[in-house]
Amino acid sequence: MTNPSMLQAKLERLCDVYAAQLPEKLKHIEQMWAQLPQDNWDAEGFQTLHRMVHSLTGSGKTFGFALLSDVARNLEEHLRQIVQTETVLSEDQRQHIQKLMSELRQVAIYREALFNNQADSIAIAPPNYDALSPRRIFLLEDDLEQAEELKVQLGYFGYEVTVFHTLTDFRVAMQQTVDVVILTDISFPDNSLGGVEVVKEIQAGRETPLPVIFISANDEFLIRLEAARAGGIAYLNKPLNISKLIDKLDALTSTLTTLPYRVMIIDDSVDISTYYSEVLEQAGMVSMVVHNPLNVIKTLLEFAPDLILIDLYMPKCSGMDLAKVIRQLDAFVSIPIVFLSAEIDLDKQLVAMSLGGDDFLAKPILPQHLISSVNSRIRRSLILRSLVLRDSLTGLFNHTAIKDELDREVIRSKRHGTSLAFAMIDIDHFKQINDTYGHPIGDRVIKSLARLLKQRLRASDLVGRYGGEEFAVILVNADRATALQVLDTIRKDFSQLRYLSDRKEFTVTFSCGIADISQFRDVTELIEASDKALYNAKHTGRNQVVLSDAPAVEAAGST
Amino acid sequence: MVDKLVRILYVEDEPDIQMVARLALEALGGYTVAICSSGDEALQLAPGFQPQLFLLDVMMPGMNGPSTLKILRALPQFARTPVIFMTAKVQPGEVAGYKELGVIDVIPKPFNPMKLASRVQEIWERYHD
Repeated sequence: MTNPSMLQAKLERLCDVYAAQLPEKLKHIEQMWAQLPQDNWDAEGFQTLHRMVHSLTGSGKTFGFALLSDVARNLEEHLRQIVQTETVLSEDQRQHIQKLMSELRQVAIYREALFNNQADSIAIAPPNYDALSPRRIFLLEDDLEQAEELKVQLGYFGYEVTVFHTLTDFRVAMQQTVDVVILTDISFPDNSLGGVEVVKEIQAGRETPLPVIFISANDEFLIRLEAARAGGIAYLNKPLNISKLIDKLDALTSTLTTLPYRVMIIDDSVDISTYYSEVLEQAGMVSMVVHNPLNVIKTLLEFAPDLILIDLYMPKCSGMDLAKVIRQLDAFVSIPIVFLSAEIDLDKQLVAMSLGGDDFLAKPILPQHLISSVNSRIRRSLILRSLVLRDSLTGLFNHTAIKDELDREVIRSKRHGTSLAFAMIDIDHFKQINDTYGHPIGDRVIKSLARLLKQRLRASDLVGRYGGEEFAVILVNADRATALQVLDTIRKDFSQLRYLSDRKEFTVTFSCGIADISQFRDVTELIEASDKALYNAKHTGRNQVVLSDAPAVEAAGST
Repeated sequence: MVDKLVRILYVEDEPDIQMVARLALEALGGYTVAICSSGDEALQLAPGFQPQLFLLDVMMPGMNGPSTLKILRALPQFARTPVIFMTAKVQPGEVAGYKELGVIDVIPKPFNPMKLASRVQEIWERYHD
C-alpha cells in the first residue's frame, strides 16, 4: 500500500492545484453574476450561478478552504431561496449577494493545512491572483542585523527584498505600492503590536488583501489571533526557519504554467473534423486534424497531443484498431483517447473502451459538451501524469522521468546540432546530516536544493531528483563551460544557506560533475561521464563542480 | 461474515473532487474505484464493473443523484446494491428524505479526504450487521 507521507504529498499537490484554480473559479462566478439581467428573471442563468456556488460549498473544505465552504454555503442558501421565488431581485437582495460574493473573495486566501504537523502556521495562501508581481517583498523589521540577514537569505532564492526599520518609513512606502508581499515583525520599540496594526491599516483600504506573513518571537494565542484578523496568511516563530518561509513564499508566488491543450482529431470526414477543430481552437486549444489513419503515428510523435479524438468508423482502419496501435507506443500508453461515434449500442461501446478508449462522445455533439469533456479529461490526465512523473518530496522529475527527458533532449540536440550539458549533483555528507539532525531536516535540505535549482536555472532546463540526495540537471543549448559557470554560482549560494535545527545553525555543500554531448554522443556515456566527474569532485575535496575528462579514445589520440 | 468491499463506483461531476476521492479511496482505502462524471456514464459502466457499492453525488447537472438511483434500482442486477449519497446539503429533514429513497447513508460534503475511506468502510460494515 502507498506510504502515508507519499499519499500526503499527493493530496497536498491536489490541494495546490485546487488553490491555483480557485481565483479563476471565483472570476467565473463573478462574471456569471455580472451577466445576469437586472430587470428580468433569468431562470437558467440563476441556476447556473447556483450550481457554481454549490460546487464551491461541496469542495472547498476538502481542499483546505473551510471558510470558503462556509461562505459559499451561505450564499448558496440565499440563491436557492431566490430561485424558488422566481422573481426579479430587489435592491436589498442584490446588495446582499454582492456582499457575500466579496466575502467569498476574501476568505479564499484562508487555506488550512490538511495535516496538523504545521503547528506554526495559521494558514497558507493560494498562489497569487494574477495581478501580484511575483518576487517582490517588503520586510518590516526593527532589528537591523536580522533584517539584513533575512534579505541576503531570501536573495539566494531570487526574492527582491526591500527593508524598512520603522513603522513610519513602511507606511510612507506603502502609500505608493500596489503589489508586494509583506513580511513583518509584530513587536516594535514604540508599539508592541505595531506590525499587526500597520497591516490592518493597509488592508482596510484594499479590496483584495495583500499577502502578509508575520514573524514573531512571541507565540501567544491572542497575538496569533490578532495577526489572523489582520489578514496574515502565515505566522512564523523566531528564530526563523528559512525553509518554511521560502515554502510559504513560493506557494504565494508560484503559478501553474498553463500551455494551451493539444488535441489531435482523427476523422475521415473533412467537414466534421474541421468543425471540431474550430470549436476546440475557439476554446483556446491547439488542434491537429488527421484524415488518413495510416498517417497517424508520424503525426502523433511530432504533434505530441494531450488527447486524441478518434472517429469510430473510418474506411481504412477502424477507430478501435487505431486506439490499440496508439496504446502500444510507449509514449502514449496513458494518453486519453475519446471515441466519437453515432454508436448507441452499449456492448459495442464497452468493447471499444476495453481496447483502449477512455470515453465515448455520441455524435452529434454540442460544442459546449465537446469543449468541457475534452478540457476535463486533459486536465485530469495531466495532473495524474504529474503525480507519476514527479518526485513527491521535491516536485522535480523522478529518476525515470528525467532519464526519459534526457533521451528526448539528446535526440533533439543532435537533430538541431545544438549543445547540451548534463550535470549530476550530490549533497555532501548527507548521511551525516540525517544522522545528526534527523530525516525531516534532511528532507528540508533536499527540498531547498531542489528549489534553488528550479529558481536559478532557465525554464527550459530540466531538473530531476535522481536518487536520495542526488540530482540530475539537463541544460539545453549549453556546453560544459557554460554549465560549469551556472552550477558553480548555485553551488556557492547553496553553501551560504543556513539551516536551523534545535536552534543550532548549520550549512551544507554539494559536489557536481558535468559532461556535454560534444564529448559524449550517447546517453549512457553522457550519464557515466558526468557520474565519473562527480566522483572526482567528491574525491578531491567535495564542495566543487568538476568537468568530465575527454573520452578515453580521444585522449589516446586515436580519433 | 461480511463480504469484503472492493469495487466502488463513484458518480461525481466535479473533476477536483473526483481526483481527491480517487486518491482517498484507492490509496488510503485500498478499494478498486471507478469514477463516472454523470449518471448516464454510470449506467453505461456499471454492468461491466459490477460495483458492490455506489457513491452518488446528489446535485449534478442533467441526471442528479436521486434520478440515477431510481434508474439503477430499475435494473435487476442493481436493485439491491447499497448506495450512499454524497451531498453538500445536510439539513436533517433532507437526510431523512434521502434515506426514504433507499440509500443506506449520506456522507456530507465537503468531506475530509483523510477520513473518507474509513467512513465508507464504517457504513459498509454497519449496513451488513
